[in-house]
Formats: sequence, C-alpha cells, structure tokens
Amino acid sequence: MSEHAAHNEGGDVVYAQYETIEQQQESYVVGMWSFLVTEIMFFGGLFMVYSLYRWKYVDVWSKMSTELDWRWGGLNTTILLISSFFVAMAVQKAQKRETKAQINYLWLTVLCALGFLCVKYVEYQAKFHHGLWPDALYTAPHIIPHGEEGYSRIFMSLYFAMTGLHGAHVAIGIIVITTLIFMTKAKAPSVSDFVPTEMVGLYWHFVDLVWIFLYPLFYLIPK
Amino acid sequence: MSAAAAVQEQKVEKNYLNADHTIASWLLTKDHKRIAVLYLISVTFFFFIGSIAAGLVRLELTSSQGLMLTSEAYNKMFSAHGVVMIFFFLIPAVPATLGNFILPIMLGARDLAFPRLNLLSWYLYVFAGILAAIALATGGFDAGWTFYTPLSSLYSNTQITMALSAAFIAGFSSIFTGLNFIVTVHKMRAPGMTWFRMPLMIWSTYATSVIIILGTPVVAITLFLVILERWLGIGIFSPEIGGDPVLFQHMFWFYSHPAVYIMVLPAMGVVSELMAAFSKRPVFGYHFVAFSSLAIAGLGFLVWGHHMFVSSQSVYLSVVFSFITFLVAIPSAIKTFNWTFTMFKGHVEFKTPMIYGLAFMGLFLIGGLTGLFLASLDTDVHLTGTYFIVAHFHYVMVGSATIAFMGGLHYWWPKMFGRMYSEFWGRISAITIFAGFNFTFFPQFIVGYLGMPRRYHYYFFEPGWEVYNIMSTMGATILAIGFAMPAFYLTASLLKGKKAPQNPWGAKGLEWEKAASPPVTHNFSEPVVVTEPAYNYPTLDEWPEDDAGVEAALAPQGGKG
Amino acid sequence: MASQFPQHGHHITPTKVLGWNLFWLLILMASTVLLARVFHFLPTFPANMAALGIAVTKAYLVINIFMGVKFSTKLTKMYAIGGFVWFMLIFGILVDYATRSWEPVPGWEKTPSSSIPRVPGIKE
Repeated sequence: MSEHAAHNEGGDVVYAQYETIEQQQESYVVGMWSFLVTEIMFFGGLFMVYSLYRWKYVDVWSKMSTELDWRWGGLNTTILLISSFFVAMAVQKAQKRETKAQINYLWLTVLCALGFLCVKYVEYQAKFHHGLWPDALYTAPHIIPHGEEGYSRIFMSLYFAMTGLHGAHVAIGIIVITTLIFMTKAKAPSVSDFVPTEMVGLYWHFVDLVWIFLYPLFYLIPK
Repeated sequence: MSAAAAVQEQKVEKNYLNADHTIASWLLTKDHKRIAVLYLISVTFFFFIGSIAAGLVRLELTSSQGLMLTSEAYNKMFSAHGVVMIFFFLIPAVPATLGNFILPIMLGARDLAFPRLNLLSWYLYVFAGILAAIALATGGFDAGWTFYTPLSSLYSNTQITMALSAAFIAGFSSIFTGLNFIVTVHKMRAPGMTWFRMPLMIWSTYATSVIIILGTPVVAITLFLVILERWLGIGIFSPEIGGDPVLFQHMFWFYSHPAVYIMVLPAMGVVSELMAAFSKRPVFGYHFVAFSSLAIAGLGFLVWGHHMFVSSQSVYLSVVFSFITFLVAIPSAIKTFNWTFTMFKGHVEFKTPMIYGLAFMGLFLIGGLTGLFLASLDTDVHLTGTYFIVAHFHYVMVGSATIAFMGGLHYWWPKMFGRMYSEFWGRISAITIFAGFNFTFFPQFIVGYLGMPRRYHYYFFEPGWEVYNIMSTMGATILAIGFAMPAFYLTASLLKGKKAPQNPWGAKGLEWEKAASPPVTHNFSEPVVVTEPAYNYPTLDEWPEDDAGVEAALAPQGGKG
Repeated sequence: MASQFPQHGHHITPTKVLGWNLFWLLILMASTVLLARVFHFLPTFPANMAALGIAVTKAYLVINIFMGVKFSTKLTKMYAIGGFVWFMLIFGILVDYATRSWEPVPGWEKTPSSSIPRVPGIKE
C-alpha cells in the first residue's frame, strides 16, 4: 500500500492501516512473536516424538549418539551462538541508526550461517558414506545389537528430520538476512526503521534456540 | 421517493467494490474486504466439489449391495469429501471469509495489521486447493481425511503425498490468517474500543486464532513426517522398525480436535451477533459468553485423546480425557443458555439470518449432547466407528458451523455487496436446509446405534438398514436443493437486488452505524471513536408501549445506500 | 489504543550486556560438552538432567537478553510464557505411554461373569 503510506517526522514509513509509527512497530513485533509461537509448536511436535523414542530405546540411542561427532556439533553450536550475538549487535546498531555497522554485523551473521551449513554438509556426507541414511537400504552400525537395528534407524530418521528442518531454517535465514542487507543498502522504504532488523533477529535467535536443544539431545546422550 | 433522492441514487458513490475494476486490482488487492470476497468465491467452489463427493457417497448407500462404486472408488469419495470439506471449506469458511470482512470494521480499523500477509494466505489457500484438485483428478486418495498411519504411510498407493501437501499448505494459509487476526485485535482497535466493548464475534474469532497458531503447526509437522516417510523412506510411524502408528493419531488429534473448535467457535460468534441484532437486546451475560470462547479454546486442547478410546490408549488417560470432554459442555451450555436469554422479552424478528441462528441453536444442542454419549468411555465402545459418530459430527459441522456461516452470510450480505436479497426465498431456503439437514442426518443416529459401521460401501449383511439410508439420501437431496437456492437468489440480488440502506436490520455495531453499505476502501469516511458498549440496545423501559412505536423503532435506519 | 512504548523510547541493549551474555553462553556450551564427553563422573540420570538444565539455562539467556524479552512489554512476555506452556502441553502425549504399563491391575485376569454365555430358560 505504498501509495497510501505516509512518512512521519522521523522519516519512517507508516502504512495506511496504522495511525502511528509506534502502533506499526508494536504490531510487527507482536506478529513476529506470534509466528515464533507457531514455530515453537512446529518443532515441539518433533521434540515430543524424540522424547518418546529416546525413552523407549534408550540403550540403542546412547550407542547411536557416538556415531555423531560431538566436535563437529560443538563447532556448530559455537558458530550459532556467536552469530546470535552478531545479529543482536545488528539490531542494536539499527536502533542507533548506524547503518554501516548494522550491515557489517548482518554480513558476519550470514558468514556464520554459511559456515554452519558447510559443517552440516561434511557431517551429512559422512553419514551417507556410512550407509546411515534411514531408508530401506539402511545398514545399522556394528555396535547395535541384533534385532534392534530398527530402533537405530528411527534415531537416524529423527536426526535427519530435525537437523534437516533446522538446516532449512538456517538456509531461509541466510536468504532473509541477505535480502534485508540489500534492501537496507538500497534504502528501501519498508526497511527504513529498525523493526525489520529486529524481526529478522528474533527469527535468527529462534534458530539458535532450536540448535541449543538439538546439540545435547543428539550428540551428547550419556551412557 | 422524492426527486432529490432519485438523483442521489443515480450518483454512483465510491466504495471498495467499484474503486477499481481491473482483474489485477482484485488479484493483487490488499483490501481485507476484497480478499474476503475472493475467499467467498473459492470456498463456495470447494463446497460444491465436496458436495458432489458427498452426493456420490449417499447414492452408493441407497442399496445394501452398494449401488455403483467399487470399494476403492468409495474410499476415495469419502476421503475427497472429508479433505475438501474440512480443509478447504469449513476451516476457512467463517474466519477467512466473514471474519476477514467484518473483523477490522467491527474494531474500527482501516484494515488488518498485515494486508500483504492476508493476500499471501489466500494465495497459499488457492495453491493448496489446486494441489488437492490435482490429487483428485489424478486418481484420488483413499485414507480418509485423518490419514491414519500405517495405511497412509506404508500401504496406500494413491495420491496421498499430494493430498498431505495440500493439507500442509492450507494449514499455513490459516496460520497466517490467525496471526493477522491476533495482531489486529491486540493493536488495531479504534480509540475507545476496549476489550469488553468488542462484539462477541471478535472474541470468538480471537479464540479461534489462538487455536490456529498453537495447533496447526503440530498437525503440519505430523503430516510432514508422513510425507517424508512416503517420499524418502524415513520411518517414524512405521511399526516394522519399532515406530508407533498410534503416535500419529495422538499428534494428529492434538491439532484436529482443536480444529473442530476452529470451525465452530467463529460460528458461535456469528450466532451471538444474530441473536442480539434480531432480538434487539444486548447479549445476555456478555462476559460469560466472551470468556466461554476462551475456555472452549483452552479446554479444546486437552481432549484430543477422546478420539482414541479404542486405539490402545492407556485407560487411565482415557478417563482423564473423558472427564475433560464433559467439562467442554459447560462453556458450550453457557453460550446456549445465554443466547436463549438474549431473546427473552426481545423483539424477535424471524428474518432469514435469524432463522439460521435459531436452526443453529437446535442443531448445536443435538450435536453437542450426542457428543457426550461419545465422550463416555463405555458407550463410546459401542458407538465409535458407526454412523452415530458420523451423524454427531455432521450436526456440529454442518448443522452448526455451516448453518451459522449461511446465517452470517445473509446477515452481512447487504454490507458486503450493498444489495438486499429476496427475503421470501431466503426464508424458504433456510427452512428447506433445516428440514433437509435433519432428514439426512437424524436417521444416521438410529442406524448408527443399530450398529452400521462408517466407511463401508455395502451392508448386505443387514438389509434392514436400507430404509434409514434411503431416508438419509432423500434428505440429502432436499439439503442440496436448499443449498442451491442461495446460489440463485444471492446472485440475482447482485444483479438487480434492491439497494441496501446502511443499516437494514436496525442493528447496533460499528459496521452498521458507521460504515456505508458497501464500505469505502478504508472502511470509514471519518475517524471512529467508540463511546458505548457493544449491543447498546434500548432497555426494556425505553421501548415504546404501542405497536406503531415498536414498528418505527425496528425500521431500517440510514436511508442512503 | 494507547501505546505501550513511550515516544521512541524502545530499549537499546548495550554491547557490554550482549557480550557478557555470549561469554556465559560459550561457558555453558563448554561445560555441557565436558560433562558428557570428557569427564564421565555423573551417572546417567543426573547427566541427563545436567545436559537438559544447561540447555534450558542457555535458552533462558538467549530469550531474555538476545531476544530482549526481559526489556519488553507484558504482551511479549505473555507470548514467551504461553509458547513455553503450550510446548510442554504436547508432552502430555507421553502420559499415555507412561500409564499403559499400569494395566492390567490385579484381578482383571479373572473371567467376568458376563462373559459366560447365558443358557436361555435357566433362571439365575
């Protein structure tokens, strides 16, 4: 509705359905939180499935956990935590209207996200190599006792489903952040204030949050 | 009509319908009213598709040998009927069509908070609808609308993946609508529109939106896991490797039971509006009705297991679910009692929307109370999987949700299109639908109690059931005629209907008192300030004593269209 | 509708707070790895609880400081809490699996009298 949008005294664009810039900004933030709640529920279903099967097949899962390399996973956790800091800094710079620093921090976030995906690629590659892709051709590792191969296949199913879905969120995050960078550079009216950066930040923190739980749940199951 | 008025009639006023005439201005619109019209057209289309499937199911059952379909074709028919009617008609019908149109106007806002997201949700809906249509055209799917594993994941060779994807995408369409409504209710209320001045339609739409954003993602991930299982071989629900198919039922019903309230809560909101407007009385116990909507939304999340009493669920949990299911009856009964008391000493007018409203009350009562039979652990063992349950949920979904949708459509039709429909044909069709509906589904209660299983396409082992099934099919024919009538007289009203005044019902509410018929693009010509509670009708003392005075008070207000 | 922020009065989190938050997050990350993979002194159950506890603490730090819930409106806090409560609600499904093994209770294996076919004509 750009033809109906007005600028307030600060130069921010206020869309036609809103009275003031504050109302618009609050609406955007509430909208983003509503979206995050749906995301929580989306992953929540998977975490529940995970809990059920880990509880049912705890021995097999503990053994399968050693098939995943905790060092790669730990590296990825560190990368995501640092990227979360970068995006929080980007939001702060956007609030202070320091556009240049904001864009730099956003680029750093993208860099971290790409690094995360590279590590994931290496890990997935190794799993494919070992025949751990959980379809009909799945071959269980030797450490799994006879008769319990199916349980280890469920572990790998959930591993790929959960980290894959998380990886898709990371990839979407890269696209969104890059778009935000180019729109900010082009001084597009819809990103004239800090709220779009804050919304992207909230999304990125959520991606980080999911990984914070995925890491100990998959890589660090105790014996 | 005076000459001056006639001149004024000829001068075409700008409103949202004639603001722009190009096709692009409709397909790229961000106006919530135009998007509501787009939704209206598309849900009507899917209602038609779903009805054809229902008609074939009913035709097949007129003979105890099965009339014409093979078992597989029959399975595909009832699956098509279920998926289309639930995901593409009932879930978007009241919120995305009527809610989209009326919610910002009722709040005194110029539009929803996120107009572009609103348009996106319509496109997602259409895309999902096209996927479902392709799935139907390329062979159909046969696992019912519930897609129970392992039938849907391991055995079925039909277009399940495509149907699942359609339901998945349609879910995101409703998530975006729900998100939009929540933000709009929180942030876009006009000055003076406090929470307890909001019309009850808003309260129930808000409760619905909360269910949508909390529940729909769970079914989305569940369907997604089944898609992965079919597509990539990832097995999470497959028993051969230690997965639990019953887990699918848990996750599916975690959303799909609240989804029943997604369908019926906005319908209850519509009925609250109808009862007040056609009794000219404030809704009795406003706060109770408002909070009962939230209570239903909350309790609705705690009863999913009552769909699983006979599927190996722990009996201890079943007891808890049974108990909480009984609790849902309390807020539902509060609503029904309060609507009844709203009519008490009111000036009840039996206009078309009110006839639908009253039909809702009766049918919802039957639908709700038979739900209690099914919520009891022991009677459910006898009744589950029979036509009793089919009749029960059709009383709730058709008898309540669809009939309230029809009532709301007739109530707001003059506001949406600025034209009056034929009141005579409206009443005839409302009564036909009510009669046809009962004729169709009441025999199913009896035949279900006698033990006729659902989803069977013949019953040669018990030919005595034929009489009930033939009755039911005859009723379905009457019902079809009833639903066909509005298609004609509503279309006719668009072409040559009488121009609607601003407030044809003499009702209270921002949409009638402040917005023109049809409204302008940004809803109101001047800023809205709300100074009075909802349903601020005259008290009993303020009503005129004599009949002439009452008639004058009930006359439509705001002559200009 | 009254605004919940004062004019342009949104909270700006200082760099120092964000930096310390990152520091604590990394410390917690290192400790969870050490507990699970380097020093195996904890038995299974406490080890699980420790891993989960650390994850929850990390999540709390991210939500409160990075996502700014600590500095935000009541509505946002409500969303954060509501999301968490509903997230826990899904785990109610597990109650089913936990209580299935409780049955059958003693005495259920006895044949109920109603399962013996009735012979017509004989009074009970």
